Amino acid sequence: MSLILPKFEYYKPSTLDEALELLAKFKGDARILAGGTDLIVDLRSRIKKPKAVIDIKGIKELHKLEYIEGKGLIVGATVTLNELLEHPIVKSKFHVLYDSVRQLADMQLRNRATLVGNICNASPAADSAPALLVLDAKVKAVSKRGERVIEIKDFFKWVKKTALEPDEMVTEVFIPEPPEGSRGKYYKATRNVEDLAIVGVAGLVAYPNEPSKRIVRLAYASVAPTPIRIYEVEELFKRDEPLPKLIDEAVNIALRKVSPITDVRGSDWYRRHLVDVLTRKLLIELFLEG
Amino acid sequence: MKITLTVNGKKYEVDVKPNETLLDVLRDKIGIKSVKAGCWRGECGICTVLLDGKPVKSCLVLAAEADGSEIVTVEGLMKDGRLAPLQKAFIEHGAIQCGFCTSAFVLTAHWLLSRNPNVTREEVIEAINGLICRCTGYEQIIEAILAAAKYYKK
Repeated sequence: MSLILPKFEYYKPSTLDEALELLAKFKGDARILAGGTDLIVDLRSRIKKPKAVIDIKGIKELHKLEYIEGKGLIVGATVTLNELLEHPIVKSKFHVLYDSVRQLADMQLRNRATLVGNICNASPAADSAPALLVLDAKVKAVSKRGERVIEIKDFFKWVKKTALEPDEMVTEVFIPEPPEGSRGKYYKATRNVEDLAIVGVAGLVAYPNEPSKRIVRLAYASVAPTPIRIYEVEELFKRDEPLPKLIDEAVNIALRKVSPITDVRGSDWYRRHLVDVLTRKLLIELFLEG
Repeated sequence: MKITLTVNGKKYEVDVKPNETLLDVLRDKIGIKSVKAGCWRGECGICTVLLDGKPVKSCLVLAAEADGSEIVTVEGLMKDGRLAPLQKAFIEHGAIQCGFCTSAFVLTAHWLLSRNPNVTREEVIEAINGLICRCTGYEQIIEAILAAAKYYKK
């Protein structure tokens, strides 16, 4: 690996219009730079060789972190993960997001890395993705042609592939208010803090003791080509049946839906084992806490 | 392109290329060799500096991105040519073996204690868990940081 970065042109626009103009001009041969904690690694290893790098940290409106009571949380593209963690409402209301971002890389990286960058990198192991999936986040994509909102479940297309067009960029993520009284948690099996998840599981539970109102959502990292939410378990929990039986069934559904690979971090067998163990642990804890 | 950096209180105007990192510039253009290069991919944390007060891994920051910012390296913590109490605590607790990772740990600890001098052992561990010490003197490092906390209490 060469330690020197490949050559590229560096732009630091101060308005969104300028950034969109550059994206349109370079037709997919430009990369957006926010925290850089994924991009610079990919540049150095020559996985990405863009002609231009567009640093968006000069665009003030992208540094928006705003909670609207009863509606939800808006996280702009240049808000760092540590800024997110320091926002009191994230800790008190968006438990599953707080829990997953706390486990994302390390403190130094979280001073640079952004939530929007984590999803735009579209790693199957993105730690914030399962949380955003169970919270039904919405991604705002903007280009010179206009803007559109992409549901997070439609945002991840394949390993490192998003639904973004080459001239589009994400300006913010909107996270709706979680269901009332809900609790959330993220479990990450990992070799050390620096490494990607072997398996990550995000869960959200509301009204655990009232089957007809009960809400249970599960989403996973590192078990498929993209982060995935397993919708098939959700109806199951509306049944008025003993919880251990429902949890058993949910685990079986999850195991049918995942398609883990074998890599340096673990075998497909081991990943399935983790899906089984972590899903049970997560659900039991969320039900008991509720 | 020309950028301006304030490093340990001193202003520098440096000519940089877009593909140069803050780590490259600090070591090779400004000549601060206490900032070490380890993995070059944000994993070991040995290139940590304080960028506008916050610890970051300088191998993953472009020099151009740092234009106009304030950088502190381990030398910047000294006062009147003397080691700061935190730096002394590292020596006293045997938290230095080969010394390669020391700057990164000291800078991170300084940031942590400046924000919260009543830090717990768990918070210390969480703050340094992105830094690798291959002599594996973590226990002594944790003790040194906890011992230095009292100097940050007003």
